[in-house]
Amino acid sequence: MAAAKKHLTEKTITPKDKEVSKKLRDMGKEIAEEIKKGESPYVKLPIRSLSNIKFNEKDEQLQLGTAVSKRSFMNVAHSRKFMQTMLVASWVCRELVEEGITTSLRDMYYALKRTIPGTKENTVEEQGESDPVVVDIETMLDILREELHLNADVRGRVVGNVVIKDRGDTVDWSKLGSGGWSIPSNVENVEIKSVDADYILLIEKNAAFERLHEDKFWKENNCVLMTSQGQAARGIRRLASRLSEDHKLPLYIFTDGDAYGWYIYSVIKWGSMNLAHVSDRLGTPNAKFLGLTMTDIEKYELENYTIKATDVDIKRAKELKDYVWFQAPEWQKEIDKMIKSERKAELEALSSKGLRFITETYLPEKIGKKDFLP
Amino acid sequence: MGMTEADNMFKEFREHSVAEFFKKNRQMLGYSGKIRSLTTIVHEYVTNALDACEEAGILPDIIVHVDQLGNDHYKVMVSDNGPGIPKTHVGKVFAQMLSGTKFHRFIQQRGQQGIGASGCTMYAQITTGKPVKIITSSKKGLVYETEVMFDVKSNSPILTNEIEYKGDHVGTKITAEFKDVTFNWSEYGPSEYIRRTAVANPHARLVFTAPDKQRFVYERVVHILPPRPKPSMPHPSGMTVDDMLDYAHHAKERTIKSFLTQTFDRMSSDRADEIEKLTSIDFKRKPDSVTWKDAEELVSAIKKVKFLAPSSGNLHPIGEKQIEKAILNVLSPEFHAVRTRSPSVYRGGVPFIVEVGIAYGGKAGHTNGDGGSAKTEVMRFANRAPLLFDAGGDVITKTIGEIDWKRYGLKNLEEIPVTIVVNLTSTYIPYTSAGKQAISDEEDIRKEMALALMDVGREIGAHLRRQFKRGEKQAKRSTLLRYIPEIAGAVALLAVDNKALLEKKLLELVNKKYAEGAVSEDDDEEDEDAGATADEPVVEESDD
Repeated sequence: MAAAKKHLTEKTITPKDKEVSKKLRDMGKEIAEEIKKGESPYVKLPIRSLSNIKFNEKDEQLQLGTAVSKRSFMNVAHSRKFMQTMLVASWVCRELVEEGITTSLRDMYYALKRTIPGTKENTVEEQGESDPVVVDIETMLDILREELHLNADVRGRVVGNVVIKDRGDTVDWSKLGSGGWSIPSNVENVEIKSVDADYILLIEKNAAFERLHEDKFWKENNCVLMTSQGQAARGIRRLASRLSEDHKLPLYIFTDGDAYGWYIYSVIKWGSMNLAHVSDRLGTPNAKFLGLTMTDIEKYELENYTIKATDVDIKRAKELKDYVWFQAPEWQKEIDKMIKSERKAELEALSSKGLRFITETYLPEKIGKKDFLP
Repeated sequence: MGMTEADNMFKEFREHSVAEFFKKNRQMLGYSGKIRSLTTIVHEYVTNALDACEEAGILPDIIVHVDQLGNDHYKVMVSDNGPGIPKTHVGKVFAQMLSGTKFHRFIQQRGQQGIGASGCTMYAQITTGKPVKIITSSKKGLVYETEVMFDVKSNSPILTNEIEYKGDHVGTKITAEFKDVTFNWSEYGPSEYIRRTAVANPHARLVFTAPDKQRFVYERVVHILPPRPKPSMPHPSGMTVDDMLDYAHHAKERTIKSFLTQTFDRMSSDRADEIEKLTSIDFKRKPDSVTWKDAEELVSAIKKVKFLAPSSGNLHPIGEKQIEKAILNVLSPEFHAVRTRSPSVYRGGVPFIVEVGIAYGGKAGHTNGDGGSAKTEVMRFANRAPLLFDAGGDVITKTIGEIDWKRYGLKNLEEIPVTIVVNLTSTYIPYTSAGKQAISDEEDIRKEMALALMDVGREIGAHLRRQFKRGEKQAKRSTLLRYIPEIAGAVALLAVDNKALLEKKLLELVNKKYAEGAVSEDDDEEDEDAGATADEPVVEESDD
C-alpha cells in the first residue's frame, strides 16, 4: 500500500477497530453465504435522498428516515456500485482498520482504481465514485468514517483564545501568527484544554476571515474565529459543535447573501442530507445566522453592490424555501425577498462602505443587537 | 388507358416504316437513356425466356451475360433451356413488330405487348448496324443458327447465315451487340433487374455475369411451375359504357342475353333476366345492334344487380411460401415476413391480388455495389415482372410512403437494410403509361397494399423489439460478468473464502438468468427491484 503511510509507532489496534473490523467481516461472510446459496448478493442501505430525510423538530436535526434500498449484484443498475461497495469494504477493513493506518479518501481512490481485466472499464473512474461508497458503508453498518480510518482533505482554519492538545502537542490558537490552526478532518482525538471566548464566529469565506484576523477582531471582541472555506467539512462542523455545546459558546454564522451561503448555515446548524446519519454529532442546533441577509442589504444600502441572481440561484432558493427546516417566517421572508428581487450579495459587498466597515460597524451592530436569523 | 395507347401504337405501326415507328416510340418502349435501354434489352429477352419455358412446362434455367466491348458498347447474351423456336417462327419473333398481339386478351401476363425481342433487334440494328444472332433447337438433336435483321423498307425479317446441324443444344441462345447503352450497379441496372426477377420467380434458376465478370447465381428454390394463367372474363361491375359497347360490337352471340352470359364473369341467366327487367332493351336483339344509349342502360342496370365477387381462379400470385423461399434465397435476411392478400377487385370488376414481403438484415437493402451501408429498397412487381423505373408515380411507392413505419420500429426507413417486395397480380395491371413501369393509384389497390404492408410491418416491428431486448439482455449479461472477478476477489478476502468458488457461483447465477439466446416474450420481469432506482445518487454538494 504505497499510498497509505505507516505510522512510525507500532500498529495500535483499539477495541473500536476490532468492533469495526468484525462488522465489516461479518457483512463479507453474509455476502459469501448468499453467493454460495446461488442467490444474488445484496446489501441494504438507508436511502439518503430528500425523500428519506426527516427533520426532527425536537432536536432540530436532519435525520435519516427508515426507508432502505437494496443494492443487488444482479440488478444491472446496481452491479457496479455493488462491486465498488465490496472493494471499499474489503480494502478498508484489511488495509486500514486492521492495520491501524489512517489515510485520505483520495489515497483510497488511488488504491482501488484499476482497469478491470479484459475491459476498458476502471473499478472506480473518479474520486466522486468512491467517496459516496464510504458514506454508504457508514450508514449501512452504523460506523463513522473516522472509525474506518479515512480522512477528507484538510480544510478550514481557526484562531482565538483556545488551547488544545492534538497528538501530544499543545497548541494555542492565539499564537499561530497569520495562518491560524488548520482544522484536521478528524477532530475526535483533539482535546480542548481551555477556552476563553464569548462566542464563535464562523465565516464562509477565507478572505473575510483574513480581514478579521488582521484587524485582531477576535482579540478585541473575545471570540473564536473560524472559516469553513466554502461548505463546512466534517472536521469544522464537529469542532464548532464541540466548542459550542461543550463550552456553551453561541455560534454565529456569516456567509454570502445567497442560497448557497444560507445552505452552508443550515448544514452547520441542522446537519446535511448526505450525512443525516451523523447529524447528532455534526450539527449545532443553537447556531444563529448573522448575515448576510436580504434585510441587511436594504438596511446598509448595499443594493448597488448586489449581483444578479442566476436561474440556478433562484432554483436553489426555491428548493430552500420548501425545506422543512427553513420554514421559520424570518427565513421565508428572506428567501422570498431574494426570489423577488433576483439579487444576491457576497459578504465582500460590505467593503463598499470601507475596508473596516465589517469589523467596526457591521459585526458589532449585528452581534450587539442580536440581529440574527433563527 | 393502356389499351387505347397500344391501339394507337398499332395504327402508327401501319402508317410508318418500322424503323421510323421505333425511333418515334423508343421512349415508350423503354429505350430512353443508356442504362434503361440495356435493362430493357435484358428484360425483353429474360421475359421471353421465362414465358417460353413456362408455356412448355419446363422449369426455367436462364443465363445472362453482359460484356463491355467499348464505350457505351455492350454485348448481351441470354440463353434458356426452353422448347426452342421453330425455324419458321424465328423471323417473326425477332424481327416483326406487334406480331403476336395480345391486346384484347384479359389475361394475367408478364411482358410487354408483342414488341419485346423485335424491339431489341431494331435497337441493335440502329445503334450498331449488326444483326442479332440466334441459336435455337426446337427438335431434339437439331440445332438452327441464324442472324436476324429487319428489312426496314418491307417491315419483314431478313435471315442470314442460316445453318442447321446436328447437336445437343437445348433451348434458345440470343447474342446481340448494342451501342448507346451502358451498364451500372444502380437499382436501374441489369444486375438489379435479374436479382428482382429471381425474387419474383423462385421457380427459375438465373445466372448473371456482369461486364467485370462478377457472377451472380440465383438458384431455383421452388420446383414446381406456377400455373399458366388463363384468359378470364371481365366482371360486369367493372364495365364502362364504352367497354360495354366495344364488347357488344365484337360479340359473336346471337342475342344480347347470350352475349352477356358468355362474355361476363358471374353473369348467370338469372342475373341477365334481372338486368333485362331493369332496362327497356329487348334481349333477343343481336348484340351488335346495341347503341350507346342501350349500353348506358345496361351499365346502370348492372350497378343495381348484385353479382358474386369476381372469380379469381385465373389469378396466380407468387404465393407466400414461394416469396418466402425467394427472399431467403436472394436476400438471406435476418428476418422476413410475407403476406398474400385474398383476391379483391378494383374499378368494380378487375380482380387483383396484392402480395407483400419484407426482409431485414442479411443481404436485404440496396448497396449500390460500392460497399456502402445498405439502404431501404423497394422491389415493385406487376405479375412477377420487376418494375425498375418511374418509381415516383407508382402506387406501391406512394403506399409505402404513407405508412407510418416508425410505429413498427423502423425509425429511419431510408437508412435501414430493408427490402420491401410488392407484387400486384391482376388480369389487367393499370399502368400509368405505356412504359409499363408504374402502377396507377387505384384506391382499392392502395388499400389492399396498405393492409398487407402494415401486416408485415407489425411482424418486423415485433422482431425488432425482440432483437432489441435480446441485445439489451446480452449487454446486461456482459456487464454482470465483467464485475464477477472483482466482487469474488474482494468478498473472498473479506470473508476469508474461496475466490474460485464464489466466481463460479456468481457465473452460474448470471447464466441462469441471462442464458444466451434465451429470450421469452414474457421476459419483462426485470431486475429484482425494478422501479425503485434504489441507488440514485444523493443530490447535494459534497460535504467534505
